[in-house]
Amino acid sequence: MLIVEFVLLMFLISIFAGVFGSIVGLGGGIVIIPALTILMGVDIHFAIGASIVAIIGTSSGAASTYVRDKVTNLRIGMFLELASASGAITGAAIAAYTNSAALETIFGSILLVSLVPMVMKIGEEIPKSPELKGMSKRLGLTGSYTESDGGVVKYNSTRPVEGLAGTAVAGVLSGLLGIGGGAFKVLSMDLAMKLPMKVSTTTSNFMIGVTAAASAGIYFARGDVDPLIVAPVALGILIGAAIGARILLRSRNTTVRKIFAVVLAIAAVQMILSALGVPV
Amino acid sequence: MNLRDPESMNVVIGKVLRYGVILSGTMILLGTIGLVATNGLSDSSGMLTYNPNVVPHDSLIVSPSALFHGLLTFSAFSWIELGVIVLIATPVSRVMISVFLFAAERDRLYVLITAVVLTLLLFSMLVTPFIPGFHA
Repeated sequence: MLIVEFVLLMFLISIFAGVFGSIVGLGGGIVIIPALTILMGVDIHFAIGASIVAIIGTSSGAASTYVRDKVTNLRIGMFLELASASGAITGAAIAAYTNSAALETIFGSILLVSLVPMVMKIGEEIPKSPELKGMSKRLGLTGSYTESDGGVVKYNSTRPVEGLAGTAVAGVLSGLLGIGGGAFKVLSMDLAMKLPMKVSTTTSNFMIGVTAAASAGIYFARGDVDPLIVAPVALGILIGAAIGARILLRSRNTTVRKIFAVVLAIAAVQMILSALGVPV
Repeated sequence: MNLRDPESMNVVIGKVLRYGVILSGTMILLGTIGLVATNGLSDSSGMLTYNPNVVPHDSLIVSPSALFHGLLTFSAFSWIELGVIVLIATPVSRVMISVFLFAAERDRLYVLITAVVLTLLLFSMLVTPFIPGFHA
């Protein structure tokens, strides 16, 4: 394949990845990795390096819109990032002593199982807001955002410890495998903390950028971030994320949840396939 | 702008992200145009081959002086690389600025939480790549 063809094709695929990655809060790696490995024949190390940059691009590209419109909850994001960042460092420290196929099988299965509560809540527009008390109240884990039709949605959160535990798992996973943290972040905020779906995916979108930046140093130093591969991916992702952010703000929570459920199923299958040796 | 007002926090962070993304995107775009203009009709497979025994991979420039030299000589790879570094820096600057913005809001608890997150982030980015055995 000619370089110009590679650049154009990856640019277009990355726009698509950026649109979906920014809506579901997982960051586009889920599309970028198989596109690079299976379609383009790129080595998995380069694909993960490009995926790390893609995650940061989705996060920052979409966040400039999300933050302005206040859908992202910065306090919840920063509080949970404590667990995510510590988890990522722990994951990187123990990576040499773990079996990644076994981990992928376990985590892929957890994602598959978590589809059940996700599907059970499929029609839920706004969760019944829990009473703000205890630790959630002291930490100010509450907020509100404005829908595109002008309606204001106020929400509280609950079970911060479970939320922290879930995001710690997400962090360990990012540190170990370089991928897969976003799904556990969204699930923690949605299933444990009972946040509206759009708040969960956009707050995850903020956090995955920070967690990915934390591990970027290792990939960069190892030479896994190849300029030729990363360039069209980063450009496409930034454009896609800007489009995706605008789509999310106009979408209903139920629509975002449906898209997330489909992407979650794909992520689970991808992780299990990867355990079986398919480079996705 | 009144920094005590939580509204302004969103405005400041939104702007930092936007400028960071535009700056990084412009550098990567210029580098990509340069790359395609000079090497666009070459075969890509040689550039996509990974050799784990060569660290860093030979098409990469990781030393700051080599990067600086590449920027001055308008090397497409160096401009793409600088753009990627700026992109990686956007979440870091976001966390950094949040420390000051929470301080302006007099929210001590979140100044502390954000400062811890920033410390973990910088430790992980800048220190762990040099610890043997990390992420083998």
